[in-house]
Amino acid sequence: MNLERLPNEEKLSLCRKYYLGGFAFLPFLWLVNVVWFFREAFVKPAYTEQLQIKTYVKRSAFGLLLWVAVLTTWITIFQHFRAEWGEVGDYLSFTIPLGIP
Amino acid sequence: MDLLSNKWIVNVLICCFFIGVGCNSVEKKIYVHLNYTVPCVRLLNATHQIGCQSSLSGNVGVLHVLESEDNLDWVLSKGPNPPYLVILEAALFTRSIMMKLKNGSNRVAGVAVVAPNTNPTEPFSPYTTCPNENTGVYTEKYDPAYAHCNVTVWNPLGNGLAYEEFDFPIFSLKDDNDTQVIRQCFLDHNQVVNGSAPQYPLCAMQLYSHMSAVTDTATCMRRNDINFSISPEGVCDPLGDSNVWASSRPINTTQKGHKNSENVIIAAARLDSRSFFFDIAPGAQSSVTGFVSLLAAAHALRNATQEAPPNRTILYTFFQGETFDYIGSSRMVYDMENNQFAVDLDNVHSVLEVGQVGLRSDSQLWLHSDPVSRRNSSVNDEVRKLIENLQVASKDLNVTVNQPQASQPLPPSSFQRFLRARPIPGIVIEDHQSVFTNRYYESMYDNAEYLNISYPSNLTADEQLEHITETATALTEVATMVARALYIQAGGEESRLPSITAEARLVTRMLYSLLIKSNNSWFQEIIPSEFMSRLTEKPTNFYVGVANWQSSEPTFLVQYLLANLTGTVVNVTKEDCQHQREDDKDKESHHLYHYMWVQGSVPPNGTQRESFCVRSTVHLSKALSPAFDPLKEYTSTEYSTWTESRWKTIKGRIFLVASHELEVSLRQSG
Repeated sequence: MNLERLPNEEKLSLCRKYYLGGFAFLPFLWLVNVVWFFREAFVKPAYTEQLQIKTYVKRSAFGLLLWVAVLTTWITIFQHFRAEWGEVGDYLSFTIPLGIP
Repeated sequence: MDLLSNKWIVNVLICCFFIGVGCNSVEKKIYVHLNYTVPCVRLLNATHQIGCQSSLSGNVGVLHVLESEDNLDWVLSKGPNPPYLVILEAALFTRSIMMKLKNGSNRVAGVAVVAPNTNPTEPFSPYTTCPNENTGVYTEKYDPAYAHCNVTVWNPLGNGLAYEEFDFPIFSLKDDNDTQVIRQCFLDHNQVVNGSAPQYPLCAMQLYSHMSAVTDTATCMRRNDINFSISPEGVCDPLGDSNVWASSRPINTTQKGHKNSENVIIAAARLDSRSFFFDIAPGAQSSVTGFVSLLAAAHALRNATQEAPPNRTILYTFFQGETFDYIGSSRMVYDMENNQFAVDLDNVHSVLEVGQVGLRSDSQLWLHSDPVSRRNSSVNDEVRKLIENLQVASKDLNVTVNQPQASQPLPPSSFQRFLRARPIPGIVIEDHQSVFTNRYYESMYDNAEYLNISYPSNLTADEQLEHITETATALTEVATMVARALYIQAGGEESRLPSITAEARLVTRMLYSLLIKSNNSWFQEIIPSEFMSRLTEKPTNFYVGVANWQSSEPTFLVQYLLANLTGTVVNVTKEDCQHQREDDKDKESHHLYHYMWVQGSVPPNGTQRESFCVRSTVHLSKALSPAFDPLKEYTSTEYSTWTESRWKTIKGRIFLVASHELEVSLRQSG
């Protein structure tokens, strides 16, 4: 979808929808928000709605970074300690490798 | 289409027809597949995993035929092309070499052991020095002085290799043409010339034996049961099979639990054995000599127990799975304690077990008893009586019975599990005074050759079946003694003893069929037709294997043998026989007897076998450790928790491998 052709109000409402959608445990919406609206928010010359769009993009970026940090930590811990956790590790796993602990 | 293209098509087809179209698979030009692959597999128990593991895509290693133990440093440090796949001759398959390979396992891709055609001269036992250490009767609670083989180390020649964990595959190869190809490949490509490293391409072997289970039994049984994974896969199975038992007088088997007025003598022997490699377990001295003697004794007692039945009933029991922490006997004792068996422990008067009896020196047999339970005077008196009966029974025979030292504990035997439940008087008959005389205990060399069973070379298979060897004659003497002792112990008259003799003809046939070839005319007569396909041309494999619905070869062979030797032929139709009744209205016989419809022999002037019905008291009882079946305690220290891992493919292949740099550069340029 080409943002060039949209009127500014619609750009704002789209940005808002993606921002609000990301709160439903959907950090990829925030990633899309940041990538898609980055140019609109920071590169284009100013227009009325740009301030709002800027705040949404900044908040999306912050939320995205938070998610990345949490997920990376959890994945590292799980991959490292799953074998030691025995029963709990097995019940948390979806596929368990064969032949290795 | 015009005539010209038609003509071309016909031309091409005719040319193909004449020249012949051949396709050559590229795979066949690269790889030589190994025909005979016997791996070592992973077994797990409550605390450990033992055996070997390969990676999922097979372990590839450059071949190296090991010349001696000093040559190991080529593999472990000096060789420039790790990882290596070491080919070991049987004489080099020792604990010190294997432990060094295990420690250097980042440079070792696998090991292939060339199994010799004749037994080696050195003793070799991959079993532990103290068999079934924690599940016998000698625990700290029973008597700390005897625990953990403090007094007698039963298997001093044991190197414990089978109970180590290796993270590379170990295969066994036969010493034949295929192995010669492997050695030749090594000599052509991999040999060190004038101290300089061999050049690529090098000869390599790839072995696949990826095992699914890991850590211990509790983990793998838990992973068997996980519900919400995408593709639930079983990873391991418990070991087990069925015990075979029969009684000299019919007992009501439908009614379980204590039977008033039944006094039972248990005559026990074990059926199973193992070796380092999977599904190879000839078990000649470890188990066959014992249970063949007991089978011959049961046959010798058939007439006497039917014509002049003694007071007490004799229960012939053959336990499976004893190698792996007494699976069969622990299950039978558990069933007896929980009223799941035809009799219970209060009905058991005494136990006589026949252990390893094939290698008697000077015709001596040793009667082992448990010194701890004999501290009780009533138990001691009963054991003394049993010993006296054995001495009376051995008169006039080429057998001398002796007692070992009074403070010596019982050797590993199924009787220990009965003692663990309550102090019962009993004796274990063995041919060794203290430590085992068996130099190949639970190994692949414990075969007919070790028992000196040999036949003159000009005999056909049927003549070999009938030829009475010296080993058979010696075992017949043992069987006669056991039969007579059981008869007196059961309360029979001494005057009948001379008529109780085992037949050497029978013993030699059993030894031939179990240790050399089970697909012979005699076995074909005594089994039903549906088991015909399960008879083999090789020695019987006595490994207990995984507990599934089908009993293993030794179990069904002993079942039908025991029925033939202790049962009677009855004139019953095939349909009645298979429905466990004597005629249409018979509802009572199936409580007491078991009926089997067996093939019978081919008459000399006909082609159809004359089948008949055998009525006997032979039954199968489940031999699955109580830790699995009712209790589900996978970390139990009381019962056996052995499981065997599952696997997908077991195979091996040889090929020439190029240098790593060449592979990488080809991949990049491609």
